[in-house]
Amino acid sequence: MRLHPFRLVEPDSLAGAIDALGRLDGDARVVAGGTALVALMRLGLVKPDRLVSLHRVPALDEIRIENGSLVLGAMATHADIERARIVRDGWPLLAEAVRRVATPAIRTSGTIGGNLAYAEAASDPAPALLCLDAEVRVVGPRGARAVPVAGFFRGFYEAALEPGEIVSAIRVPAPPAGARGGYVKYTSRSAEDKPLVGVAALVVLDASGRCADIRLALGGAAPTPIRADAAERVLRGEALTDSAVRAAAETAARHADPLSDLMGSADYRRQMIRVWVRRLLVSLRDGPS
Amino acid sequence: MSLSFTLNGQPCTIAAPDHWTVLDLLRDGLGLMGTKYGCGEGVCGTCTVLADGRSIRACLVLAAHARGRVLVTVEGLQADGRLDPLQTSFAERGAAQCGYCTPGIMLAAKALLLENPAPTEHEVREALSGNLCRCTGYTKIIEAVLAVAGPR
Repeated sequence: MRLHPFRLVEPDSLAGAIDALGRLDGDARVVAGGTALVALMRLGLVKPDRLVSLHRVPALDEIRIENGSLVLGAMATHADIERARIVRDGWPLLAEAVRRVATPAIRTSGTIGGNLAYAEAASDPAPALLCLDAEVRVVGPRGARAVPVAGFFRGFYEAALEPGEIVSAIRVPAPPAGARGGYVKYTSRSAEDKPLVGVAALVVLDASGRCADIRLALGGAAPTPIRADAAERVLRGEALTDSAVRAAAETAARHADPLSDLMGSADYRRQMIRVWVRRLLVSLRDGPS
Repeated sequence: MSLSFTLNGQPCTIAAPDHWTVLDLLRDGLGLMGTKYGCGEGVCGTCTVLADGRSIRACLVLAAHARGRVLVTVEGLQADGRLDPLQTSFAERGAAQCGYCTPGIMLAAKALLLENPAPTEHEVREALSGNLCRCTGYTKIIEAVLAVAGPR
Protein backbone atom coordinates (compact mmCIF):
# COMPACT_ATOMS: atom_id res chain seq x y z
CA MET A 1 0.00 0.00 0.00
CA ARG A 2 1.42 3.35 -1.08
CA LEU A 3 1.39 6.54 0.92
CA HIS A 4 -1.12 9.17 -0.10
CA PRO A 5 0.78 11.36 -2.60
CA PHE A 6 2.52 14.51 -1.34
CA ARG A 7 5.16 16.87 -2.60
CA LEU A 8 8.57 16.65 -0.95
CA VAL A 9 10.61 19.78 -0.32
CA GLU A 10 14.27 19.34 0.60
CA PRO A 11 15.75 22.67 1.65
CA ASP A 12 19.48 22.88 2.34
CA SER A 13 19.26 25.34 5.24
CA LEU A 14 17.08 25.91 8.30
CA ALA A 15 16.05 29.28 6.85
CA GLY A 16 14.95 27.49 3.70
CA ALA A 17 13.00 24.96 5.76
CA ILE A 18 11.23 27.70 7.73
CA ASP A 19 10.41 29.45 4.47
CA ALA A 20 9.09 26.24 2.88
CA LEU A 21 7.00 25.46 5.94
CA GLY A 22 5.46 28.93 5.98
CA ARG A 23 4.29 28.93 2.37
CA LEU A 24 0.50 29.03 2.10
CA ASP A 25 0.31 25.97 -0.05
CA GLY A 26 -1.74 23.31 1.64
CA ASP A 27 -0.94 21.37 4.78
CA ALA A 28 2.80 20.98 5.31
CA ARG A 29 4.65 18.82 7.84
CA VAL A 30 8.28 18.60 8.83
CA VAL A 31 9.80 15.15 8.33
CA ALA A 32 12.96 14.09 10.14
CA GLY A 33 13.46 10.30 10.40
CA GLY A 34 9.86 9.59 9.48
CA THR A 35 9.43 6.75 11.98
CA ALA A 36 6.38 8.41 13.54
CA LEU A 37 5.07 10.56 10.68
CA VAL A 38 5.27 7.98 7.90
CA ALA A 39 3.50 5.43 10.10
CA LEU A 40 0.72 7.96 10.74
CA MET A 41 0.51 8.70 7.02
CA ARG A 42 0.33 5.00 6.23
CA LEU A 43 -2.62 4.70 8.60
CA GLY A 44 -4.24 7.69 6.90
CA LEU A 45 -4.30 9.65 10.16
CA VAL A 46 -2.50 12.57 8.52
CA LYS A 47 -2.51 13.44 4.82
CA PRO A 48 -0.13 16.35 4.30
CA ASP A 49 0.08 18.04 0.90
CA ARG A 50 3.76 18.74 1.40
CA LEU A 51 6.59 17.35 3.51
CA VAL A 52 9.57 19.51 4.37
CA SER A 53 12.54 17.22 4.90
CA LEU A 54 15.43 18.30 7.12
CA HIS A 55 17.88 15.75 5.71
CA ARG A 56 19.74 18.20 3.52
CA VAL A 57 20.25 20.81 6.23
CA PRO A 58 23.97 20.52 7.03
CA ALA A 59 25.26 19.65 10.50
CA LEU A 60 21.79 19.24 12.00
CA ASP A 61 22.78 15.79 13.25
CA GLU A 62 25.83 16.94 15.23
CA ILE A 63 26.43 15.67 18.75
CA ARG A 64 28.84 17.96 20.57
CA ILE A 65 29.77 19.64 23.85
CA GLU A 66 29.12 23.37 24.11
CA ASN A 67 30.21 25.21 27.28
CA GLY A 68 29.88 22.04 29.33
CA SER A 69 26.45 21.16 27.97
CA LEU A 70 25.67 18.40 25.54
CA VAL A 71 24.12 19.71 22.35
CA LEU A 72 22.23 17.25 20.20
CA GLY A 73 21.27 18.44 16.74
CA ALA A 74 17.59 17.77 16.10
CA MET A 75 18.48 15.25 13.37
CA ALA A 76 20.82 13.21 15.60
CA THR A 77 19.41 9.69 15.51
CA HIS A 78 18.80 7.55 18.55
CA ALA A 79 21.36 5.11 17.11
CA ASP A 80 24.03 7.81 16.94
CA ILE A 81 23.24 9.16 20.40
CA GLU A 82 23.33 5.75 22.09
CA ARG A 83 26.74 5.05 20.53
CA ALA A 84 28.32 8.48 21.06
CA ARG A 85 31.21 8.24 23.50
CA ILE A 86 30.58 11.74 24.91
CA VAL A 87 26.95 10.84 25.69
CA ARG A 88 27.79 7.49 27.26
CA ASP A 89 30.52 9.03 29.40
CA GLY A 90 28.91 12.30 30.45
CA TRP A 91 25.15 11.69 30.15
CA PRO A 92 24.72 7.96 30.82
CA LEU A 93 21.06 8.39 31.82
CA LEU A 94 20.29 9.78 28.39
CA ALA A 95 22.25 7.02 26.64
CA GLU A 96 20.34 4.43 28.65
CA ALA A 97 16.94 5.93 27.80
CA VAL A 98 17.68 6.39 24.11
CA ARG A 99 18.86 2.78 23.89
CA ARG A 100 15.39 1.68 24.98
CA VAL A 101 13.58 3.37 22.10
CA ALA A 102 11.78 0.74 19.99
CA THR A 103 14.09 -1.50 17.93
CA PRO A 104 17.56 -1.09 16.39
CA ALA A 105 16.09 -0.38 12.94
CA ILE A 106 13.79 2.34 14.28
CA ARG A 107 16.66 3.90 16.21
CA THR A 108 18.72 4.09 13.01
CA SER A 109 16.18 6.48 11.50
CA GLY A 110 14.32 8.07 14.40
CA THR A 111 15.72 11.39 15.61
CA ILE A 112 15.77 13.08 19.00
CA GLY A 113 14.20 16.25 17.57
CA GLY A 114 11.43 14.24 15.98
CA ASN A 115 10.83 12.29 19.17
CA LEU A 116 10.28 15.51 21.16
CA ALA A 117 8.30 17.35 18.47
CA TYR A 118 5.95 14.35 18.26
CA ALA A 119 5.21 15.03 21.96
CA GLU A 120 4.11 11.51 22.73
CA ALA A 121 3.42 10.71 26.38
CA ALA A 122 5.18 7.36 25.98
CA SER A 123 8.51 8.82 24.86
CA ASP A 124 11.58 7.05 26.24
CA PRO A 125 14.05 9.96 25.99
CA ALA A 126 11.65 12.61 27.35
CA PRO A 127 11.70 11.55 31.03
CA ALA A 128 15.52 11.45 30.98
CA LEU A 129 15.67 14.90 29.38
CA LEU A 130 13.17 16.19 31.96
CA CYS A 131 15.45 14.93 34.76
CA LEU A 132 18.45 16.55 33.09
CA ASP A 133 16.68 19.95 32.81
CA ALA A 134 17.29 19.98 29.07
CA GLU A 135 16.06 22.73 26.79
CA VAL A 136 14.74 22.60 23.27
CA ARG A 137 16.12 25.05 20.74
CA VAL A 138 13.51 26.16 18.28
CA VAL A 139 13.81 28.28 15.15
CA GLY A 140 10.98 29.88 13.28
CA PRO A 141 9.80 32.84 11.22
CA ARG A 142 10.26 35.12 14.24
CA GLY A 143 13.74 33.95 15.14
CA ALA A 144 15.24 31.48 17.57
CA ARG A 145 14.19 30.68 21.13
CA ALA A 146 14.88 28.07 23.78
CA VAL A 147 12.12 26.24 25.64
CA PRO A 148 12.78 24.15 28.76
CA VAL A 149 11.73 20.54 28.07
CA ALA A 150 9.50 20.90 31.15
CA GLY A 151 7.48 23.50 29.23
CA PHE A 152 7.76 21.93 25.80
CA PHE A 153 4.90 19.46 26.07
CA ARG A 154 1.68 21.43 25.90
CA GLY A 155 -0.79 18.56 25.71
CA PHE A 156 -1.65 15.21 24.19
CA TYR A 157 0.67 14.93 21.15
CA GLU A 158 1.07 18.70 21.24
CA ALA A 159 4.46 20.40 21.47
CA ALA A 160 4.97 24.08 22.25
CA LEU A 161 5.79 24.87 18.64
CA GLU A 162 4.16 27.81 16.88
CA PRO A 163 3.19 27.50 13.21
CA GLY A 164 6.34 27.43 11.09
CA GLU A 165 8.65 26.57 13.97
CA ILE A 166 11.18 23.72 13.83
CA VAL A 167 13.19 22.05 16.59
CA SER A 168 16.86 22.68 15.77
CA ALA A 169 18.69 21.20 18.77
CA ILE A 170 18.41 19.96 22.34
CA ARG A 171 20.79 21.35 24.97
CA VAL A 172 21.39 19.08 27.92
CA PRO A 173 23.24 20.55 30.93
CA ALA A 174 25.75 18.27 32.63
CA PRO A 175 24.20 16.18 35.39
CA PRO A 176 25.09 17.30 38.93
CA ALA A 177 28.37 15.93 40.29
CA GLY A 178 28.01 12.52 41.88
CA ALA A 179 24.55 11.93 40.38
CA ARG A 180 23.28 8.41 39.91
CA GLY A 181 20.71 7.99 37.23
CA GLY A 182 18.54 5.31 35.77
CA TYR A 183 15.70 4.68 33.36
CA VAL A 184 13.28 1.78 33.64
CA LYS A 185 10.58 0.99 31.18
CA TYR A 186 7.66 -1.32 31.66
CA THR A 187 6.00 -2.71 28.55
CA SER A 188 2.80 -4.72 28.81
CA ARG A 189 2.93 -6.43 25.39
CA SER A 190 6.46 -6.97 24.05
CA ALA A 191 9.92 -5.79 25.05
CA GLU A 192 10.40 -3.36 22.16
CA ASP A 193 7.01 -1.71 22.61
CA LYS A 194 6.41 1.83 23.75
CA PRO A 195 6.49 2.12 27.53
CA LEU A 196 3.23 1.54 29.34
CA VAL A 197 5.14 3.47 31.98
CA GLY A 198 8.70 4.80 31.82
CA VAL A 199 10.51 6.18 34.86
CA ALA A 200 13.72 8.20 34.86
CA ALA A 201 15.51 9.39 37.97
CA LEU A 202 18.64 11.31 38.92
CA VAL A 203 19.69 11.34 42.54
CA VAL A 204 22.59 12.88 44.43
CA LEU A 205 23.08 11.42 47.89
CA ASP A 206 25.01 13.42 50.49
CA ALA A 207 27.53 11.90 52.90
CA SER A 208 24.75 10.76 55.24
CA GLY A 209 22.81 9.12 52.41
CA ARG A 210 20.16 11.82 52.13
CA CYS A 211 18.84 13.10 48.79
CA ALA A 212 20.70 16.37 48.20
CA ASP A 213 19.14 16.41 44.73
CA ILE A 214 16.37 14.20 43.42
CA ARG A 215 14.73 14.37 40.03
CA LEU A 216 12.03 12.02 38.90
CA ALA A 217 10.14 12.01 35.60
CA LEU A 218 7.55 9.76 34.02
CA GLY A 219 6.46 8.70 30.56
CA GLY A 220 3.03 7.22 29.92
CA ALA A 221 1.77 8.64 33.20
CA ALA A 222 -0.19 11.61 31.87
CA PRO A 223 -1.19 13.10 28.49
CA THR A 224 2.46 14.25 28.21
CA PRO A 225 5.78 13.22 29.76
CA ILE A 226 5.93 14.82 33.22
CA ARG A 227 8.24 15.60 36.14
CA ALA A 228 6.97 13.92 39.29
CA ASP A 229 7.43 17.05 41.42
CA ALA A 230 5.30 15.94 44.34
CA ALA A 231 7.22 12.68 44.68
CA GLU A 232 10.51 14.61 44.48
CA ARG A 233 9.37 16.79 47.40
CA VAL A 234 8.69 13.67 49.47
CA LEU A 235 12.32 12.59 49.04
CA ARG A 236 14.27 15.86 49.06
CA GLY A 237 16.52 15.88 52.12
CA GLU A 238 15.44 12.37 53.06
CA ALA A 239 17.33 9.10 52.99
CA LEU A 240 16.10 6.51 50.48
CA THR A 241 14.70 4.20 53.13
CA ASP A 242 12.17 1.59 52.10
CA SER A 243 9.38 3.61 53.67
CA ALA A 244 10.46 6.92 52.07
CA VAL A 245 10.73 5.23 48.69
CA ARG A 246 7.31 3.67 49.11
CA ALA A 247 5.81 7.03 50.09
CA ALA A 248 7.38 8.70 47.05
CA ALA A 249 6.11 5.96 44.74
CA GLU A 250 2.58 6.28 46.18
CA THR A 251 2.76 10.05 45.70
CA ALA A 252 3.94 9.69 42.10
CA ALA A 253 1.05 7.32 41.36
CA ARG A 254 -1.51 9.54 43.06
CA HIS A 255 -0.40 12.70 41.25
CA ALA A 256 -0.16 11.03 37.84
CA ASP A 257 -2.92 11.55 35.31
CA PRO A 258 -2.68 8.45 33.14
CA LEU A 259 -4.85 7.60 30.15
CA SER A 260 -6.35 4.26 29.16
CA ASP A 261 -5.36 2.74 25.85
CA LEU A 262 -4.64 -0.62 24.21
CA MET A 263 -1.53 -1.11 26.37
CA GLY A 264 -3.41 -0.81 29.62
CA SER A 265 -6.02 1.03 31.65
CA ALA A 266 -5.39 4.23 33.58
CA ASP A 267 -5.78 2.32 36.82
CA TYR A 268 -3.24 -0.31 35.75
CA ARG A 269 -0.82 2.45 34.74
CA ARG A 270 -1.17 4.04 38.16
CA GLN A 271 -0.31 0.71 39.79
CA MET A 272 2.68 0.27 37.51
CA ILE A 273 3.92 3.80 38.26
CA ARG A 274 3.91 2.90 41.94
CA VAL A 275 5.80 -0.35 41.31
CA TRP A 276 8.40 0.98 38.87
CA VAL A 277 9.18 4.21 40.73
CA ARG A 278 9.88 2.11 43.79
CA ARG A 279 12.02 -0.43 41.92
CA LEU A 280 14.09 2.26 40.21
CA LEU A 281 14.76 4.20 43.41
CA VAL A 282 15.71 1.05 45.30
CA SER A 283 18.11 0.04 42.55
CA LEU A 284 19.70 3.51 42.57
CA ARG A 285 20.07 3.29 46.33
CA ASP A 286 21.53 -0.21 46.37
CA GLY A 287 23.65 0.10 43.24
CA PRO A 288 23.99 -2.51 40.51
CA SER A 289 23.19 -5.97 41.87
CA MET B 1 12.87 13.15 -8.45
CA SER B 2 16.05 11.37 -9.45
CA LEU B 3 17.87 9.36 -6.78
CA SER B 4 21.39 7.97 -6.80
CA PHE B 5 22.69 5.53 -4.23
CA THR B 6 24.62 2.29 -3.96
CA LEU B 7 22.51 -0.85 -4.10
CA ASN B 8 24.00 -4.24 -3.35
CA GLY B 9 27.46 -3.03 -4.30
CA GLN B 10 26.47 -1.32 -7.55
CA PRO B 11 25.80 2.37 -8.27
CA CYS B 12 22.13 2.92 -8.97
CA THR B 13 20.18 5.90 -10.32
CA ILE B 14 16.41 5.85 -10.62
CA ALA B 15 13.52 8.29 -10.89
CA ALA B 16 10.89 7.98 -8.16
CA PRO B 17 7.75 9.87 -7.14
CA ASP B 18 8.07 12.07 -4.06
CA HIS B 19 5.78 9.91 -1.96
CA TRP B 20 7.63 6.62 -2.42
CA THR B 21 9.35 4.91 0.46
CA VAL B 22 12.53 2.86 0.16
CA LEU B 23 10.29 -0.23 0.05
CA ASP B 24 8.36 1.12 -2.98
CA LEU B 25 11.70 1.97 -4.59
CA LEU B 26 13.07 -1.53 -4.14
CA ARG B 27 10.00 -3.56 -5.06
CA ASP B 28 8.21 -1.40 -7.62
CA GLY B 29 11.04 0.74 -8.94
CA LEU B 30 13.74 -1.91 -9.11
CA GLY B 31 11.82 -5.19 -9.10
CA LEU B 32 13.67 -6.55 -6.08
CA MET B 33 10.99 -8.62 -4.42
CA GLY B 34 13.11 -10.10 -1.61
CA THR B 35 12.22 -7.20 0.69
CA LYS B 36 8.67 -7.80 1.90
CA TYR B 37 5.75 -5.57 2.74
CA GLY B 38 4.30 -6.58 6.09
CA CYS B 39 2.61 -4.09 8.38
CA GLY B 40 3.69 -0.88 6.64
CA GLU B 41 4.13 0.80 10.02
CA GLY B 42 7.61 -0.29 11.09
CA VAL B 43 6.41 -2.86 13.58
CA CYS B 44 6.86 -6.28 11.94
CA GLY B 45 10.40 -5.96 10.55
CA THR B 46 9.97 -7.92 7.34
CA CYS B 47 10.99 -4.91 5.20
CA THR B 48 14.32 -4.53 7.05
CA VAL B 49 17.29 -3.65 4.82
CA LEU B 50 20.73 -2.22 5.53
CA ALA B 51 21.56 1.45 5.04
CA ASP B 52 25.23 2.28 5.61
CA GLY B 53 25.59 -0.97 7.52
CA ARG B 54 22.69 -0.40 9.92
CA SER B 55 19.21 -1.87 9.76
CA ILE B 56 16.34 0.36 8.67
CA ARG B 57 12.65 -0.15 8.04
CA ALA B 58 12.22 0.29 4.29
CA CYS B 59 8.48 0.95 4.75
CA LEU B 60 9.10 4.02 6.93
CA VAL B 61 12.09 5.65 5.23
CA LEU B 62 11.27 8.00 2.39
CA ALA B 63 12.93 7.06 -0.89
CA ALA B 64 14.53 10.52 -1.01
CA HIS B 65 16.35 9.73 2.21
CA ALA B 66 18.17 6.86 0.50
CA ARG B 67 20.05 9.34 -1.65
CA GLY B 68 23.81 8.83 -1.37
CA ARG B 69 23.49 5.88 0.99
CA VAL B 70 24.75 2.33 0.70
CA LEU B 71 21.79 -0.06 0.66
CA VAL B 72 21.94 -3.83 0.97
CA THR B 73 18.90 -6.05 0.45
CA VAL B 74 18.61 -9.83 0.73
CA GLU B 75 19.50 -10.04 -2.95
CA GLY B 76 22.88 -8.48 -2.11
CA LEU B 77 23.85 -10.76 0.76
CA GLN B 78 25.49 -13.31 -1.52
CA ALA B 79 28.77 -12.35 -3.13
CA ASP B 80 30.30 -13.87 -6.31
CA GLY B 81 27.63 -16.55 -6.37
CA ARG B 82 28.42 -17.65 -2.82
CA LEU B 83 25.80 -17.38 -0.12
CA ASP B 84 26.50 -15.31 2.96
CA PRO B 85 27.30 -17.57 5.94
CA LEU B 86 24.03 -16.39 7.51
CA GLN B 87 22.08 -17.70 4.53
CA THR B 88 23.86 -21.05 4.64
CA SER B 89 23.27 -21.28 8.37
CA PHE B 90 19.55 -20.52 8.01
CA ALA B 91 19.24 -23.16 5.28
CA GLU B 92 21.20 -25.82 7.15
CA ARG B 93 19.27 -25.35 10.37
CA GLY B 94 15.82 -24.99 8.88
CA ALA B 95 15.52 -21.49 10.30
CA ALA B 96 12.84 -20.54 7.78
CA GLN B 97 9.31 -21.84 7.74
CA CYS B 98 6.97 -19.84 5.48
CA GLY B 99 9.94 -17.55 4.78
CA TYR B 100 8.13 -14.20 4.76
CA CYS B 101 10.10 -12.81 7.70
CA THR B 102 13.40 -14.38 6.65
CA PRO B 103 14.93 -11.61 4.50
CA GLY B 104 14.24 -9.00 7.18
CA ILE B 105 15.56 -11.22 9.93
CA MET B 106 18.75 -12.04 8.03
CA LEU B 107 19.42 -8.34 7.45
CA ALA B 108 18.70 -7.42 11.06
CA ALA B 109 21.14 -10.18 12.05
CA LYS B 110 23.67 -8.95 9.47
CA ALA B 111 23.53 -5.44 10.96
CA LEU B 112 24.21 -6.90 14.40
CA LEU B 113 27.14 -9.02 13.20
CA LEU B 114 28.71 -6.12 11.30
CA GLU B 115 28.85 -4.12 14.52
CA ASN B 116 29.30 -6.96 16.98
CA PRO B 117 30.79 -10.10 15.35
CA ALA B 118 30.55 -12.15 18.55
CA PRO B 119 27.17 -11.40 20.13
CA THR B 120 25.68 -13.23 23.09
CA GLU B 121 22.33 -14.96 22.74
CA HIS B 122 20.78 -12.04 24.62
CA GLU B 123 22.27 -9.59 22.14
CA VAL B 124 20.92 -11.63 19.22
CA ARG B 125 17.46 -11.67 20.78
CA GLU B 126 17.63 -7.93 21.37
CA ALA B 127 18.77 -7.23 17.80
CA LEU B 128 15.93 -9.32 16.39
CA SER B 129 13.32 -8.00 18.84
CA GLY B 130 11.58 -6.00 16.13
CA ASN B 131 11.31 -8.84 13.63
CA LEU B 132 8.19 -10.93 13.97
CA CYS B 133 7.97 -14.54 12.78
CA ARG B 134 4.31 -15.47 12.58
CA CYS B 135 5.31 -19.15 12.31
CA THR B 136 6.97 -18.53 15.69
CA GLY B 137 10.13 -20.37 14.66
CA TYR B 138 12.40 -18.19 16.76
CA THR B 139 14.51 -20.92 18.33
CA LYS B 140 16.10 -22.09 15.09
CA ILE B 141 16.50 -18.50 13.89
CA ILE B 142 18.49 -17.59 16.99
CA GLU B 143 20.53 -20.80 16.74
CA ALA B 144 21.29 -20.03 13.07
CA VAL B 145 22.56 -16.53 13.90
CA LEU B 146 24.62 -17.74 16.86
CA ALA B 147 26.15 -20.47 14.69
CA VAL B 148 27.85 -17.87 12.48
CA ALA B 149 28.84 -15.59 15.37
CA GLY B 150 32.52 -15.57 16.16
CA PRO B 151 33.93 -17.04 19.38
CA ARG B 152 33.77 -14.71 22.36
